[in-house]
Amino acid sequence: MNLSHFADFCEQAVKDGILFYYTGEFSQNVIGAMSDTLKQRLDAAGVSGPARRKLFSAFVEMSQNIMHYANAAVHAGGRIGALAIGRNGDNKYYIVCGNPVRCEHVERIRGKVEPLRSMTVDEIKAAYREQLRNDAHDQDAISRGAGLGFLTVARESSEPIEYQIVYRSADADYAEFYLRAAI
Amino acid sequence: MENLYIPATNETPEIDFRFKDHQLHMSGESYPENAMAFFAPIRASLNDYLSSAQPAAAVEAHFALKYFNSSSTKLIRSLIALMHDSAQAGKRIVTHWYHDPEDDMMLEFGQDLKDEFRMLDIRVVAMETA
Repeated sequence: MNLSHFADFCEQAVKDGILFYYTGEFSQNVIGAMSDTLKQRLDAAGVSGPARRKLFSAFVEMSQNIMHYANAAVHAGGRIGALAIGRNGDNKYYIVCGNPVRCEHVERIRGKVEPLRSMTVDEIKAAYREQLRNDAHDQDAISRGAGLGFLTVARESSEPIEYQIVYRSADADYAEFYLRAAI
Repeated sequence: MENLYIPATNETPEIDFRFKDHQLHMSGESYPENAMAFFAPIRASLNDYLSSAQPAAAVEAHFALKYFNSSSTKLIRSLIALMHDSAQAGKRIVTHWYHDPEDDMMLEFGQDLKDEFRMLDIRVVAMETA
């Protein structure tokens, strides 16, 4: 990156109110270090109790999602993951993340995220309770958690979560999955 | 039975299960990389304690969690479920579920536990945390 590109990059980050941006490998050590930094940034920015909790919760779900599902893509030469947190002009915070996903998992992910977009807060809470009590989820061979990750992000978001799937080339094994929550 | 003490880390709660005194405390934050690996031995200890032939001592449990991630959620619930089964079988257990007054999520989680595990005496308590 030459300096004028970097200057543009910095300018764009300011315009988008970026408080925090990271790209690279997501490990528990990295997540721990980011957690500390994020907490300090939120304190410095005067982010209050509930918003702070929601941002932190969405941050952990997104970053652990990347850690559990995306790191395998390193070996395929893909980008590992990226995450940013910022504040909009309307004083709402946003958190966005992106990571490679295997193409054969794209429909599975879409099937989990898309329905959350049209659900009300109460419907999301009800789905969360149902999944919490769903003991059959342990049989799911692909999931690495409790099946509550996207539901948790949706629960923390004050707007429907947004997602995008980007195919960089037609024959690649990986697509890119992007997710956004507003808090 | 030996007490179980696990100090808190940045991403795991303090576990202070004083089985000899029938006092069970869990506090802090929980978002380990592998929640199952963290909670499985805790659950096993609790199960041993609850199922061992104890006198009719009253058990007090205190959950003062500030935050837990989605993969910890089910495992924390399963500890409550164990105590619920034990209470249903006649053991006297009082469980306190603490939440920050500003934390609606933690409050609702406690209320949901209370609704689901009706045979267990669960008391949802608002408490300022540092």
